[in-house]
This record gives sequence, structure tokens and C-alpha cells, in this order.
Amino acid sequence: MADITTPLTRAPGRLDGLVSTDAQARIVCGLGILLLWELVVRAFAPAYVAKPTTVVMAIPKVIVDPAFLGATGNTLLACAQGLAISIVLGTVIGLAMGRSILVDRSLRHYINGFNAVPMIIVLPLVSLWFGYTSGARLATIVFAAIFSIIINTADGARSVPREYLEVARSFRSRRLRMLIDIVMPSSLPYFLAGLRLAAGRALIGAVVAEFFTAIGGVGYYILYNSRVFKHNEAFVGVLLLAAFGVGFEVLVGWSTLRFLPWYRRDEKAD
Amino acid sequence: MLSSLRKHAPVTLSLLAGAALWEIAGRNSDPAFLVPLSETLVRLYQLVGTHEFLVQFLDSATLFVTGVSLGILVGMPLGLLFARVRIIRVAVDPYIMTLYATPMVALIPFILSMMGFGFTPKVLVVFLFSVFPVLYNTVEGARSIKPELIEVARSYRSSERALWREVMVPYTLPYTMTGVRQAIARGLVGMVAAEFFLSATGLGQLIMNASQNFDTSGVFAMILLIGVIGVALMRFGLYIEQRFARWRI
Repeated sequence: MADITTPLTRAPGRLDGLVSTDAQARIVCGLGILLLWELVVRAFAPAYVAKPTTVVMAIPKVIVDPAFLGATGNTLLACAQGLAISIVLGTVIGLAMGRSILVDRSLRHYINGFNAVPMIIVLPLVSLWFGYTSGARLATIVFAAIFSIIINTADGARSVPREYLEVARSFRSRRLRMLIDIVMPSSLPYFLAGLRLAAGRALIGAVVAEFFTAIGGVGYYILYNSRVFKHNEAFVGVLLLAAFGVGFEVLVGWSTLRFLPWYRRDEKAD
Repeated sequence: MLSSLRKHAPVTLSLLAGAALWEIAGRNSDPAFLVPLSETLVRLYQLVGTHEFLVQFLDSATLFVTGVSLGILVGMPLGLLFARVRIIRVAVDPYIMTLYATPMVALIPFILSMMGFGFTPKVLVVFLFSVFPVLYNTVEGARSIKPELIEVARSYRSSERALWREVMVPYTLPYTMTGVRQAIARGLVGMVAAEFFLSATGLGQLIMNASQNFDTSGVFAMILLIGVIGVALMRFGLYIEQRFARWRI
């Protein structure tokens, strides 16, 4: 951020004019973290432990490895399916809860309760129900993702400005039309906030399910490679997960700004 | 009276309906798949009475409390320090955000193969799960301190210590408490994850044993129990958060 209030006393650096001081600080800090990591691992840890230089060297090999690509595809497909199920069911339940007091009062305790349960705890149950299959992973993903979508959509549907509905009602609009034309668009930003949380949780759900049931995917790739002491390869998997997490955040943030510029709201954390 | 009845009736009815549904569904399905609520409660009662349960419960509780406390004790001062010095805050901000968003479960296999099965790696897992929410929210809170407050304190020649005591800490504490609430929730996930994936101890071991013995009622009983603990801890976290929320300006 280059602002005109920057004091003149600051010593001019070589990168001045190219990169702002803030960005310089960030880059220096990032390099410092990497250097520290490298040095600590070199000094104290066994050779197999991941360090920045060896991880970077492992990247070109890993990203063309068919096992890795297959694992990535598996995990992402499962996450996409789980999110699709969660979006459809979650929106329907969320809208019903937001617009009907009766539904809200009957379901609220269950939804809040399930949301507070650490999702990892369902693993033994889903593995009993579905066996050690990808069905167990899908069920874990849905359980991880659906509740934040329901809660946020319900919040959104509840907070529709009353005047909009009153105007629509005075023009004798039907309930379904009101739902589609007023309630849904105005709860969209809340839904997106919920989706953002849900996507992160879906990814975690997929990874823990793969750890638990040993079905193929990025989580299992990480588990397997770290067990055979190929930490560098395994760490590329972690980088991929982090990239997907951050990437989805950025995508949702961007589309909120781009398509719903009228909306501003404090983010709701988990 | 009538209005309170109208307000509470649907809730009570829905809880009763849920319990009845579980009972009926449980009675009419394969016991390996679903067991009725009554059987689950009986099993839970049996489990809770045993000496082994007490040992495992205390084991889990020690792990959870140690990990989350360390997370708070490290996250809060570090967050304040980062926030006080602007250039450090700007520099570390993106990295804290990234670590806050990174799924920490993915690091468990590394911790396992480097540190083995003891108590320390498990505490490390719970710590990693809980430290970043505290750190992230503290930095967020300190970022939002109005510069005027610090300027006024400075103009009155406030010492650095007084500045921390009177401005920084009181202003940031409500935000930190939001982090503490998230840390409690995440720490519980970390605890179960550590018990599942590192070495089986505590409540995690009880549920794993039940699952491996196809003791479905045991699995349900443990899920119910950990669910109740989860809800109670969430309530506790909300209570702490709201207690400090009125300090927010």
C-alpha cells in the first residue's frame, strides 16, 4: 500500500518504487521463515524430514506422478459431490428454517447440536455403516459441510428486509415467487459465507476419512508417503490442500465482490 | 404462560419426536447398523460406570486442557506483540492467515513419523489446532485499536507498560476470546484426531475399540457422549466470549 503519508525519514531502499515497504516486510518475513525452517531441520532433524529446498525439488516429480494426480482427482471429485449434496439439502433445509418459525424451532437444536459435535467423531460410525469405501468418505464430507450451509442460509433467509416482503405481498405475489425472487437473492451472501466455511470443512472431512479408512486420495497419499519416510513428497500434498483451501476462499471472496457488490457483512467464523 | 407454552412446545415436541424416531428406527433395523436410543443410553450408563472409562476420560481431559492452554498462552502474547509493532504485524499477517486456513490434520502423519506415539506429539497436535485461532483473532483485534487511543496515551507520556495494561490488553481481549472459543472447538477436534491417528488412548480409544468389535451400541453411546461434551464446551466458549463482548467499543 503506497500512501502519501509515509514519512520522509524512511531510508530509501533499493526496491523502492518497485515494491512497497509492506510487501518488502512480507517477503523478508517469508524468506526468514523458510530459512529458519531449513536451518532447524538441517541442524536437528533426521534427513528424511521435509525442508524447503528438498520439498521444492520434489515438486516437479510429484506433480507428474500418476498416483498423485489420481489421488488429487479422487479427493476433489468426492469433495465436489459432497458439496453438491450439502448445497442442495442445506439450502432447502436452511430456507425452510429461515422462513418458518415452526420448522426453525423443531430443527434448530438438532442442527446446532450436530454443528457443535466434532465431525471427526462420525468416522467409526460411517465406517461401520459404509465399510471402508468411498461412500464412507462421501458421508463424512456431507456431515462436515452441510451444517454451516444450513445455519448460514437460515440466517440469511431470516434477515430478509421486512419491507421487501410487504411490498411483494401487497402486489399479491405468490409465496413461491417471493421465495425465488426475494428471499433467495437476499440470502445469497450468507449462503456464500456458509459455502466458504463448508468447502474448507469438506476438504478436512475428506482427508480425515482417507486417513481413517485408507481409501485413495490426497489424504492417503500424505499418510502413505510419510509412513515410508518420503516426507518431501507427502508435504507437496499438504501444499496442494493449503492451495485449495486458500484458492476457494479467494474465489468466493472475489465472486461476492464481483456479483454481489451491494453486500457487506462481517464474516462469520466457525 | 400460553406464549411460553407456544414457544417451548415445538422444541419439546421436536426433541421427543426425534427420540421416538430414533427408538422406532433402531428397533426396526439391523442392530449392527442402528441401535435404539434406550439401548444406547443403557450402554452409556454401563460404560460411564467403569473404572476404565474414568481413566480414559481423565487422559483425554488432560490432553485437551494442556494443548488448548498452551495454545492460548502462546497465541495471546504473541498476537499482542505482533500487533504492537506495525511492521511485524504487516510482515507476519499473510502467513498467520494461511496457517489459520490450512487443515492441520494434514500434518498429523508427519508428527507421527517424527515424534512417535507419546503424550508430547498429541499435545502438539491439540496445540497446533488451537493456537492459530487465538493468534489470528488477537492480531485482528489489535489491528482495530483506534490509533487515537494510542496517540492520546502517548501524549500523556504513558509508559509502554501502562499502554499495554490500559489500552492494548483491554481492547484486544474480546477478540482474543472469540479466538479462545474457536480454539476450544478446534482443540476438541484435535484431541479426537490425535487419539485416532497417533496412538489410541482416551475417549478416542474407547470409540475405536467399540467400532472394531462391531459394538454398535458402544459407538453410538460414545458419539452421544462426545457430542454432549462438544455442545457443553461450545456453550462454555460462547459464555466466555459474551462475557468479554461488552468491552467491545
